Formats: sequence, structure tokens, C-alpha cells
Amino acid sequence: MALVPQASISAADTAWMMTSTVLVLLMTLPGIALFYAGMVRRKNVLATMACVVAIAAVVSLTWFALGYSLAFTPGWPWLGGTGRFWFAGFDYLKDAGTLAVSHVAPNVPETVYAMFQLSFAIITTALVLGAFVERMRFSAVLWFALLWSVLVYAPIAHWVWEPGGWLAQMGALDFAGGSVVHVNAGVAGLVCAYALGRRRGYGREPFEPYNLAFTMAGASLLWVGWFGFNAGSAMAADGRAGLAMLVTHVAAAAGAASWMIAEWTVRRSPSLLGLCSGLVAGLVAITPAAGFVTPPSALAIGAIAGLACYWGATGLKRLLGADDSLDVFGVHGIGGIVGALLTGVFADKAISGASGNVLTQAIAVGGVAVYSAAGTAIVLFLVRALVGLRVDPDSEVQGLDLAQHREHIGG
Amino acid sequence: MDGHVMSESERIALAARLHVALRRKHGRVTDTEWMAVNAEYATEMVRFARAHAADTHDDELAAIALRLEQAMEPLARAARLEAAARLPDGSGRQPPPKYIGGLR
Repeated sequence: MALVPQASISAADTAWMMTSTVLVLLMTLPGIALFYAGMVRRKNVLATMACVVAIAAVVSLTWFALGYSLAFTPGWPWLGGTGRFWFAGFDYLKDAGTLAVSHVAPNVPETVYAMFQLSFAIITTALVLGAFVERMRFSAVLWFALLWSVLVYAPIAHWVWEPGGWLAQMGALDFAGGSVVHVNAGVAGLVCAYALGRRRGYGREPFEPYNLAFTMAGASLLWVGWFGFNAGSAMAADGRAGLAMLVTHVAAAAGAASWMIAEWTVRRSPSLLGLCSGLVAGLVAITPAAGFVTPPSALAIGAIAGLACYWGATGLKRLLGADDSLDVFGVHGIGGIVGALLTGVFADKAISGASGNVLTQAIAVGGVAVYSAAGTAIVLFLVRALVGLRVDPDSEVQGLDLAQHREHIGG
Repeated sequence: MDGHVMSESERIALAARLHVALRRKHGRVTDTEWMAVNAEYATEMVRFARAHAADTHDDELAAIALRLEQAMEPLARAARLEAAARLPDGSGRQPPPKYIGGLR
């Protein structure tokens, strides 16, 4: 948190971080919007997309008002400070020739770093949506995004990514958000699914996805955008970023292949949705490991994650009994846990100077999961008291496009 | 087509017309009732009638074949969906129902 001469900023790093920010934002708008909207029923497609756009808007405001400061300024091991509250401190002083930088990323303007981290806060909150689509009130979604992004996401980001955070101090490795983003979103999604209850007809009627071509387009945007997510997390346009990009791609391919083989073996047919889910599983699992592992390790991580997440979205889902509508826990939760633990196995000291420890990784996963579950439950309690969580039964039957937004898909 | 879904009796009436026309114009005997309920058999008879109509330049026979084909389309579509739902391993087994209790 300092003003430095403008000449001390790296133009290459700044350009790469701005590019990465755009890539990560594309993962949500329209990546997640398409990925999720393709999987819901026709009557809820526009409502799902509206929720993604609204979450992006709400989290953008809470981030610069409160979240960024709580996550990325020095404070306590559990929470950051208040020095960047209410959009304060993002100075660019032409006459003095200085600008603000973050102590976490001193080579790029703090405006760029804060925007890059904002894109993570947005996508994490948007991921949770997949667990409660087709039944949550739109007003409840807005309140949930507002409270959850500040009370749950920001503290966890501080623990892991701010050097004074307790998990960072402990040596937990999370290059781009295996725990902060995926374990957090997965566990929060599961809590939401339990709290809201199942959709009407769940387990008795087929919930036909509207258009899996949308989902494929969304998954493709996720795959490409993930290069910004992981390689951008190097905070520099350097060799480590290049390695992160390569291992990200290898893991995505391995995840798609292993899920496909599992599905082909068990169900006798490889599905498009399975391929899309597998590539996302591989991407999720390589996220914490991207700046710490070699390409062969990435292959193993992606392949293991594809199999684990296939089980997460099928066998484990039945075991848990929750209507986690779009398998947020099965894919992001399980993929995040697998990736975080395997980072402890495969982290190569020669790459970053950091060696992994599975026990430390497990403590980080456990800490994030417990806080995320408790925090999400409290947020849902508050939202229920404020506006109620669930739409009425008639609205659910009619579909949220019409009932909540008075819009519908033509044709 | 006007989007009207024909009843079984209407399909039987059309199948009977094709039966009479084929018997009279070609000497071919068909099963009227089976033609009205089995899309696969009806498709084959329509193909046969069309081929004969093309050979003899018989517009009336071609028109009857077209009407029956249109009337049988809902049944043919259902048969195609059923075939697509079968496991592609040649076993003919039906997989578990899709999208009930889970997407994947």
C-alpha cells in the first residue's frame, strides 16, 4: 500500500495483468452465464442469465466498497484492514509522477491488481448460483451476493493470498484459488442446496437441459479464460506464467479425457456434457497447483480430477441427497479438494522454491470448508429474514423467467 | 401439414386407401391395420408406393403415399427417439432415464 514512481511499474506485467483480468471476466460474462443457462430448463434460462449479470454488478460494488480492503490490505491473520474502504487510495498522480501499488503485486498499478482480484470475487460468487438455480428469489440472490462476497469470500481470500493471512503464514499453497474459489464455492453451494430444499419434481421428473450447445460454448470460454485465471496469478509476464498456462491446458485436456473414459465405460456413451464437465474438473484441480507443478504432474492432477468429479456429480451426489442443481459441489468442491491436496503431493521446489505438504494443504481445505459452510449458513439466515429465499410454488412451476422477470425466450 | 395430429381411425382410413390403391394398381396385398400403427411398416409401404407411382407416373398414388407419410410422422418420430435412447452397444438395453435426479 504505497505510492511509487510511475517508472517503477513494469509495462509488460501490467499489460499481461490487464489482459488476464479481461480473460477472467469473460469466464463469467458470458462464460458462466452460458454454461449454467444451457443446463437449466427452458423456463429458467433468462432468470439464470439475469442472476449472473446481477451478481457481477453487485460484487463489483461491494468489492471496491469493502471486499478488496478486507481481503488484500494488511490487518490481522483473519481479516485485512480498512485502508481501501469506499474506493479510497487508488491514486494516480500525474504531476507527482506516482501511483498506488499493492504490496502483494508491486510491479503493477494497484488499480489493475484490484480489478484482477475483482474478477475472481465475481466468478466465485457466480459459481455458487449453480446450486440454487430455478428456485431462489431474484431479490434473495442480490442480497446473497452482497453479503457473501464481503462476509465469506473476502476473509478467505485474505487468509490465503495476503502474506499476513493465517493460511499463507502456515505455508498453504494455492496459486490461483483452488481453496479460495472452488472449495469455497462448492461448499457454499452445497449449504445453499440443503437450505433451499429440492426443486419441485426433483427425482421424479426429468429436468431436461434447455440447450447443451450453450453449455459447450460456456465451457469453451472457461477453458480459454482460465489462462488468465492461472497464468495471470503469476502477477507477471514471465516464465512461471508460461508454465502455469501450459499445465492449465494439459490438466483440462486430461480431465476431459478421463471423465469421458469413465462415462463411456459406465454409461456406454460419452456425452458432450461429460466432456465439458471433465475439462472444467481438470481446470479446477490444476488451479491451486498451476505455479508449482510440472506438466507430467498436471496430467496426473487433471486425470485424477476428471474421475473424482465424475463420481462427485453422480455417486456422491446421490449419497448427499441435496438438489445441488448444476453440481457445484460435485465439480468445483471435489475438484478443488483434489487439486489442493495433490498440490501438496506434486509441488516441485525447483519451480517456485516452495515444497508442498499434504497435511498443510488439508488444514487449509478444512479451514476454508468449515468457514465457508458456517458463513454461508449465516448469510442465508440473514437473507431469509430480509426477503425470503425461495419463490412460491406457482412461480416455480411457471418458471422464473416469467415469474421473476416477466420475460421469456421467443420461438 | 396444418399441425393437426391424426387419430388412429384417420390413419386406418388412409392406410386403407393405400391398401386399395396398391391392390388395384400393382396387385400388392398389404396389412391395413398394421400399416396404421407401425411406423416402420408404413414407411416401407410408402417407399414401395412411391417407387411404383414414379414408374407409372401415377400422381394419385403418390399423393396417397404422401398423406399416409404425414399422418404417420408422430409415430415415426417416437420410434426414432426410442431407437436413439437405446444404448449404443448393440445390446438393445435401455439406459437409466436421463435427467431425473441429476444432470450427469
